[in-house]
Amino acid sequence: MPLDVIMPALGMAQDTGVIVAWHKQPGEAVAMGDVLFEVETDKATMEVEAQGDGFLTGVAAAAGEEVPVGNVIARISESADADDAGPSGTAREVPAQGRDRDADDLPDGHQVIMPTLGMAQDTGLLVGWLVEPSAQVGADDPLFEVETDKSTMEVPAGAAGYLAACLAQPGEEVPTGQVIAILTPEAPAQTITRSAAEASGPAPAPEPAQKPAETPAPAAQTPPVPSKPTKAANTAALAADPSGRILASPKARRLALEQGLDLSRLVAAGVPQPYHVADLETLRAMPADTTTATASATSLHLTAEVRAEGLSDFTAWARETAGLTDPSALLAGLAAPCCGTPDPVVAVETFGQRRLFQTRADSLGAVTECADQEPALILRDLRMSRITGLRLGAEEAPVLSLTAAGHGLSLTLEGAPGQLTPTEALSLLSDFAGRVEQPLRHLL
Amino acid sequence: MREITLSQAVNEALAEEMRRDDTVFIIGEDVAEAGTPFKVLSGLVEEFGTDRVIDTPISEPGFMGMAVGAAMTGARPVVDLMFGDFIFLIMDQLCNQAAKTHYMSGGKLTVPLVLRTNLGATRRSAAQHSQSLHALVAHIPGLKVALPSSAYEAKGLMKTAIRDNNPVVIFEDKLMYQEKAGVPEEEFLIPFGQANVKREGSDITLIGTSSMVQVCEQAAELLAQDGLSAEVIDPRTIVPLDEDTLLASARKTSRVIVVDEGHQSFGVTSEIASRINEKAFYHLDAPVLRMGAMDVPVPFSPALEDLTVPTPEGVAEKARLLCAGEMIHAA
Repeated sequence: MPLDVIMPALGMAQDTGVIVAWHKQPGEAVAMGDVLFEVETDKATMEVEAQGDGFLTGVAAAAGEEVPVGNVIARISESADADDAGPSGTAREVPAQGRDRDADDLPDGHQVIMPTLGMAQDTGLLVGWLVEPSAQVGADDPLFEVETDKSTMEVPAGAAGYLAACLAQPGEEVPTGQVIAILTPEAPAQTITRSAAEASGPAPAPEPAQKPAETPAPAAQTPPVPSKPTKAANTAALAADPSGRILASPKARRLALEQGLDLSRLVAAGVPQPYHVADLETLRAMPADTTTATASATSLHLTAEVRAEGLSDFTAWARETAGLTDPSALLAGLAAPCCGTPDPVVAVETFGQRRLFQTRADSLGAVTECADQEPALILRDLRMSRITGLRLGAEEAPVLSLTAAGHGLSLTLEGAPGQLTPTEALSLLSDFAGRVEQPLRHLL
Repeated sequence: MREITLSQAVNEALAEEMRRDDTVFIIGEDVAEAGTPFKVLSGLVEEFGTDRVIDTPISEPGFMGMAVGAAMTGARPVVDLMFGDFIFLIMDQLCNQAAKTHYMSGGKLTVPLVLRTNLGATRRSAAQHSQSLHALVAHIPGLKVALPSSAYEAKGLMKTAIRDNNPVVIFEDKLMYQEKAGVPEEEFLIPFGQANVKREGSDITLIGTSSMVQVCEQAAELLAQDGLSAEVIDPRTIVPLDEDTLLASARKTSRVIVVDEGHQSFGVTSEIASRINEKAFYHLDAPVLRMGAMDVPVPFSPALEDLTVPTPEGVAEKARLLCAGEMIHAA
């Protein structure tokens, strides 16, 4: 078995060594301990000794050459004419079958690794085994010797047992972390001895002294997402704040304020919170008629709650006593005096159907249906629906919506600032709320 | 432009300044013939002699104290602290003496001293030789702190540090000593407090220091594959800090991740994130995230050690979440 002669690492920051001179000629007999060659390091010129007996062959670097640390620069072979092709510096050829079988044959036991003993040490040179294969060792017994840049050190076994497998040969450079021996609790029936180059490496050496940053993990190769991640992919929305505060980023909030965008419309549309700048696009893309009305400033939005009995009792009373059987006409008449204009046209919408009514201030019974008139007020009767709250933005006229709210009624007035002043809006809604709650007062 | 290693860049900066100004000298352990364990100072003792490249006994408080005294009395020492972890040994000399002397003498004394040391984990050097402790000194008024992210910065910042009349601490990334970068042959200095926009982007800002600048640049590459445009900024000095550049970028992209190799808690990432929060709040579309080293002693196990430091994949993952509006843990 030829021994590799490698360029040793002799200093902390040493990547290469310069061969000053060879002390043996190719083909010359060498004995373990003979000076093979001289290396110049940053501190001094050092002599490097042969790690075994044999003949110097396959010299791959001449005097004066600078060789990377760890490179194989020659071999010590059993005959003078072996290995003329020169060492490759990598694992030598091993029949694949034999290698697999060997890996399977490794005994179970305590794995002994090549330790890292110096600051910049990537590999360790196994100087020699201090116990024979199959011999028994204690945990603190020296098992092998390693050459570092400073000295040769004895390494204890680390566990008690029998040396069942030697997975590196004296003279071999072994990456730190690689398993080089196996200690079994029982005396082995047979022992395994082979070189580190042959070993398939039960525990491959970690990459020492290398930033993870420099070796992108396989995760980096995951198929790229074709477009920017969007809210649609958001699976982790926050629950709405119970206090009603809308959760939005500081920037989204500021931009919405500056541009007159109403974040509550996103809430009404069911867009999950919190909102970011990208959600403002969704808001801008909402129906144009409402967006244009709200673009300049926030629209009016007022709500009131009243008892429901007043209106239902009055509707029944009007039908039976006064013969007013059209509840929509009745509502229009009830709302007309709140509009602030004499005899206004009031639109009443029920389930998407719109009817227009010409009202008369002096009589509920004088309300007549009409056509092609601009309404002064839109009444949206949603009492029979399950809608309990709404925010639809301004339309062509102020909109008064009636929705059920528990056992009562919720009245919502919406409008563009140009349609009603805040004072008019407050007056309209409170007036109408009073009439809906106590319709008979209207008649007196 | 020619490319040289960070190690050579520091060496050149020191040699040029020592030739220019004979009050500049180097002091520390193994700085002369040994040229430091990382070989950064190789060749300097040959040119400048042992009077100006002074090997000391192993006593960090001793040589640091001598250097502070020398600086007060007219010299410009460059102190070599072999590992950043040893800064704990010189806290009094650095933080109580050097940092405060100008102030406490009513401006009569100055301490033009440079402390050269290093930071960075994943070198398998275990918990006492792997820390990134720059936040400790950045906390002390009176000290300037430079964090070069390549050979170019290492040279330009070192020359500026030596000419500064105040104590400056420079942390080099010990894993970067053999990394090459373009460094002009002609003389140049990099002013303190001037961040470098390494890459322009519009969707998110990645602020990285020292070793983490490369991590941010690689994360930006990953994000580009997803159609996200990341801006990468290297502050270069954290004291003084170029707030204007950082805030302008935060206002532009409205999302920021700060990445630094010091421990995350009470660290550089926290400080920068706070300032952005205070001064660019209404421009933020997502919480400013911190990514520092895990709050544990740096493990010796390579597998564990690698998990403690931010990676390009980790930064890119957080960035994707921020851009998708899914970073909602803080809301």
